[in-house]
Amino acid sequence: MTLTKAYRFSAAHRLYIKHLSDEENENIFKSCSNVHGHGHDYSVQVKVSGEIDPDTGMVVNIDELDRLSGRALGELDHKRLDIEVPYFVENQPTGENIAKYIWDRLKAGLGESLVHVRVGETKNSYFEYFEEASYLDEY
Amino acid sequence: MAFKKLLTKKMEFSASHRYWNPGWSEEKNKEVFGKSAGPYGHGHNYSVEVTVEGEVDKETGMIINLYRLKEIMKEVLEDFDHKYLNEDNPYFKELIPTTENIARVMWDIFYEKLGTDPGCKLHRIRLYETDDLYVDYRRAEQ
Repeated sequence: MTLTKAYRFSAAHRLYIKHLSDEENENIFKSCSNVHGHGHDYSVQVKVSGEIDPDTGMVVNIDELDRLSGRALGELDHKRLDIEVPYFVENQPTGENIAKYIWDRLKAGLGESLVHVRVGETKNSYFEYFEEASYLDEY
Repeated sequence: MAFKKLLTKKMEFSASHRYWNPGWSEEKNKEVFGKSAGPYGHGHNYSVEVTVEGEVDKETGMIINLYRLKEIMKEVLEDFDHKYLNEDNPYFKELIPTTENIARVMWDIFYEKLGTDPGCKLHRIRLYETDDLYVDYRRAEQ
């Protein structure tokens, strides 16, 4: 049994490689390297897996899931990621890296129950991060 | 290489429920279930996705006739749609009607109704309680 809950946050970013010129960055990242940044409304889906607890009828306490997810995503919400969030000062704030970041932040609280993180950057593109073996077994 | 073929049909229903464990005190129920423990229940617009797996019939080009699947779904949802699940549905007299348990109950019902023909059998139940919350349930063996 898996349970999936969706969340949203909004953030700005700029994709660029520090030691390259603005022109070189524009060649690689196109409009995503606009020097003043740009933003998205991100949608995040967090999937947990487990057995139904016979006392509660639940796989996970959703209030607890909301609390952990809210704390992780709260650190990204309304931020310029590549300036204000240390992880993304070091790593490109792409959808791929944001998905990994959220996975790592949630893993500490959710442990083995976390099986899949999906990050939608726009309605037409999304990124998924999961451990292949465990996700496919459970699912 | 073997390919998996899936077909999914979605249907909506509206129902109310209450989360309450009769073995617990009122205080503990409120602590664990919060607003969902309200005495008269509350409701959601659910939608259920029934996914079947199987082989594509050479003559019809189908895994399952969608009209048949639609009829089965309508029949199953009669016990759920516009019902107070704790009182009006036979499966939740002693089982808390959480999204998880509703999905598991639906798996059993649909698995039986669809039959165990390897050419077309139930693959997954996905149940949305809201747009932002769903559960997936499937079981490899019955």
